[in-house]
Amino acid sequence: MARIQFKHITKTYAGGAPAVDTLNLEIKDREFLVLLGPSGCGKSTTLNMIAGLEDPTSGELWFDDLDVTYLPPHKRDVAMVFQSYALYPHKNVYENIAFGLRMRKVANDEIERRVRDAARKLEIEHLLERKPGQLSGGQRQRVALGRAMVREPAVFLMDEPLSNLDAALRVSMRAEIKHLHAAMGTTFVYVTHDQAEALTLADRIVVMQNGVVQQIGTPDEIYERPANIFVASFLGSPPINYLHGKLKQNGDHVSFVNDNVRFALDASTIARIGSRPEKVVLGIRPEDVQITTAGGNVIEGLVDSVLPVGSDRFLGLKINGSDFFIRVGKEARFAEGERIAFSPVPERVHVFDGDSGKNIAGAS
Amino acid sequence: MATSSSTARRNRAIGQNLRAAGLALASIVFLIYVLAPVSWLISSSLQQEAALTSVPPQWVPEEPHLDNFRAIFSAGEEEKVTYETRREADTASGGFIPSTAKNLLPAMGNSFIVSIAVVILNLIVAVPAAYAIAKIRFYGRSASIYGILITRVIPDIALIVPFFLFIRNLGLLDTLTSLVITYLAVTVPFSVFILVSYFEQLPDELDKAARVDGCSRIQTMTKVFLPLAAPSLVALSLFAFLTSWNEFLLALMFTQTAASQTLPIIVASFTSDFTISFSFINAAGVLAIIPPVILAIVFQRYIVSGMTAGAVKG
Amino acid sequence: MSSVSLGKSPIPKKQWLSHDDTSAFFLLLPVAAVLFAVAVFPIIYSFYISLFDLKLTRPHRVPFVGLDNYLTVFADPHFWDAVLRTVTFSVTSVIAISVIALLVALLLNEDFPGRKFLSAVLLIPWAIPYVANALMWKWIYDSNYGALNGILYQLDFIDRYMVWLGDSEKTLMLIANAFVWKEVPLAAILLLVTMKSIPADLYSAAKVDGANGLRRFFHVTLPALKPGFMLVILYESMMAIRHFDLFFILTEGGPADASHVVAWRIYVETFRNLSFGTGAAMSYILAIATLALSYVVIRSLGKKV
Repeated sequence: MARIQFKHITKTYAGGAPAVDTLNLEIKDREFLVLLGPSGCGKSTTLNMIAGLEDPTSGELWFDDLDVTYLPPHKRDVAMVFQSYALYPHKNVYENIAFGLRMRKVANDEIERRVRDAARKLEIEHLLERKPGQLSGGQRQRVALGRAMVREPAVFLMDEPLSNLDAALRVSMRAEIKHLHAAMGTTFVYVTHDQAEALTLADRIVVMQNGVVQQIGTPDEIYERPANIFVASFLGSPPINYLHGKLKQNGDHVSFVNDNVRFALDASTIARIGSRPEKVVLGIRPEDVQITTAGGNVIEGLVDSVLPVGSDRFLGLKINGSDFFIRVGKEARFAEGERIAFSPVPERVHVFDGDSGKNIAGAS
Repeated sequence: MATSSSTARRNRAIGQNLRAAGLALASIVFLIYVLAPVSWLISSSLQQEAALTSVPPQWVPEEPHLDNFRAIFSAGEEEKVTYETRREADTASGGFIPSTAKNLLPAMGNSFIVSIAVVILNLIVAVPAAYAIAKIRFYGRSASIYGILITRVIPDIALIVPFFLFIRNLGLLDTLTSLVITYLAVTVPFSVFILVSYFEQLPDELDKAARVDGCSRIQTMTKVFLPLAAPSLVALSLFAFLTSWNEFLLALMFTQTAASQTLPIIVASFTSDFTISFSFINAAGVLAIIPPVILAIVFQRYIVSGMTAGAVKG
Repeated sequence: MSSVSLGKSPIPKKQWLSHDDTSAFFLLLPVAAVLFAVAVFPIIYSFYISLFDLKLTRPHRVPFVGLDNYLTVFADPHFWDAVLRTVTFSVTSVIAISVIALLVALLLNEDFPGRKFLSAVLLIPWAIPYVANALMWKWIYDSNYGALNGILYQLDFIDRYMVWLGDSEKTLMLIANAFVWKEVPLAAILLLVTMKSIPADLYSAAKVDGANGLRRFFHVTLPALKPGFMLVILYESMMAIRHFDLFFILTEGGPADASHVVAWRIYVETFRNLSFGTGAAMSYILAIATLALSYVVIRSLGKKV
């Protein structure tokens, strides 16, 4: 229930490069925003600034029409779930959940109602008398969620809350968090380094690196039209493949050329390309290829490894020495050492500027 | 190198027996090293003066008795020491109890009052400081902790001159207050140090959770960190108490009469008086030892756990 | 709940000091006040006094003498004798403490029944007051009836009772023995805590590499104990240099100056000769020496306190 605005926010620690560099971001009311990036990119710092746990070095932070830049955390209507859950070890589960409400002087019967309600929704009613030390990781995580839920805050913050859970639990918890967001109708800001998590949960994603925002967009936008090489590499598993080379003009035709590959780009791809830099990088996702026969406008490679992953099958290719991963059907059978040929799906080819890394085949 | 398994097993058994024997021997040596002097002190306090002054001495008292202790506890009610009684009493055969004996128990009381006061003040002063240093990134943080610790590098001897003049000018000579004040200088830095070490091992996210839940900095300290710091607080109290109870030099400077003299001073005064019976002095020594040793043994597990937080699950 | 700010107070503008800084200030205020009054101020005041020829025997005439007091002290050969005795005492004590504490720590590091009992016993010397320690040893060392004489006599090491504390050759070492006895527990605990933090994997790796017990001790345990030893040496030498209580009760600096260490000298100068100026100067010299010593040890430690 709050719109959050970052206006030229910068956060620098003594004697270092900025942890967050000139961030301009508007988080819409009720949206689920994910801050995504590798460790050290500034996403947790940004989250801490929303909570008030850290003050920005310069810039302004607004909640709706209120300038909250220097407001201390206990005066903000924000709830937070931490990676290590941070439950109070000396209090039982009930008191852990109730603590925030007690600090805000909510009436006892209201506290009782909300705590029991949340406990029921999270299926931890039977744990209310226990202490955190007696709970499993998954249970503690739910208590942490409960603690934040009962506050019915204007903003719900989550700092990598699922990182300490095992894989199966993580997937089911993602669904629960999504339901929670729908039910609560509150603004959610979520930090993670897991791109799959980001793609699953977010209404919009902010990709950050070294304190600088790389791209803001919906999961589709970020995945389909990455703004630069970093964003393209960060999303997608297995990661996108790159071919470094040049563009060659041949009348109406444009080809991509490097030492090993010569490949003519088709008309739709050419139409998307904005500029013609000296060096380009071609980006092709493993799933965006089709196996064909040799000859014609194809890329050829040698099968180096076969990687079945249960639901799918990938091939690691060597294209004259460099690695390239492609996805093939689950039933497809290839042998190591085999020569195969494939062509990328034209609409899905990404072209990046060889120097700046920017996406030059972007548009819309 | 082919050894049959039974040889290997035999070797292993021999090794284990050797180890057990070695440990037993080392333990005995250790126990003798620590307990022998103390046992002798206790044993001497239970003997008559005549038995005590035999050559060689009686290691275990043949007729142990508590006369010396009785003398201490009833010293206040003794009749005046007259010329006659003094001549009768002879350090070699009887027991000469000094008139200052009656100060022993009140001195113990003084020690106790001072120590408790110092503990309470330490808690009040050190806890907020330690929380701030451990959890708040403020300007001047490392300077603070270094500054606090540096004050203890200066030896107490170096402080006696200014302390003496300072206390005298305030008219506080010969009061318990002077001791409480000066003992703070001795105890607070270490208290802050162990509390900071302990707090630093408590997760930062706990602090963040509390602040987001609605606690100001001070509330975070009282509602979350204080309860969790219990072992460290016990360790702190123990150290502050023992340091105050055992302190000698400053008490020597500032106290002149029985009104404010603490236990170490009274006990020390006995040792410098050659006419006092040894068994009595030793009894006084035993009395001085008992409270701190009991405290140390009762709270021993906090000594180490008060400094290392270990795994605090949350 | 449409408001995102709680409480009625106005939204703070950019302040010179943040909420954190202000809170920190108030939280540290008590400690700062206490330590300033009872530590910082006396230290400065002490230096101030050392610049005057303050004798309580004639308290009304207090001329300013600048650094003369220091020069007087440095020029006095008795002072340097005292320094030598202090150094002898300290070095001997620290070495003895380190060795004995290491043995004790090794013993208590092993797991065997009765270890808890031994750990409790270990605390006894640490807990007792220095005066009790002093009188206990004074009684043991007594020339006429002491236990030391008694044991040696019974075991036929000597054929008649000897003078111990009164013998100027033996005095310093006897006092050192009493000091070491009391200091070993704390040193042992420090070493034990360090020992316990040595990862078990290091020993496993050494075993697999073929190192026997003794080798493991020299190549794994001892190197890992280095920070513990540094701490013990630093702390114990600081304690030894400034130690007073035993010297007061056991020998009062005697016999014939045999145990007249710097700490004792300061006491005598200040409270018996009543020369506060020179006493202060001497204590300042001791303080600076202690600071220098700690600096040197910490520097070679290489990590912060």
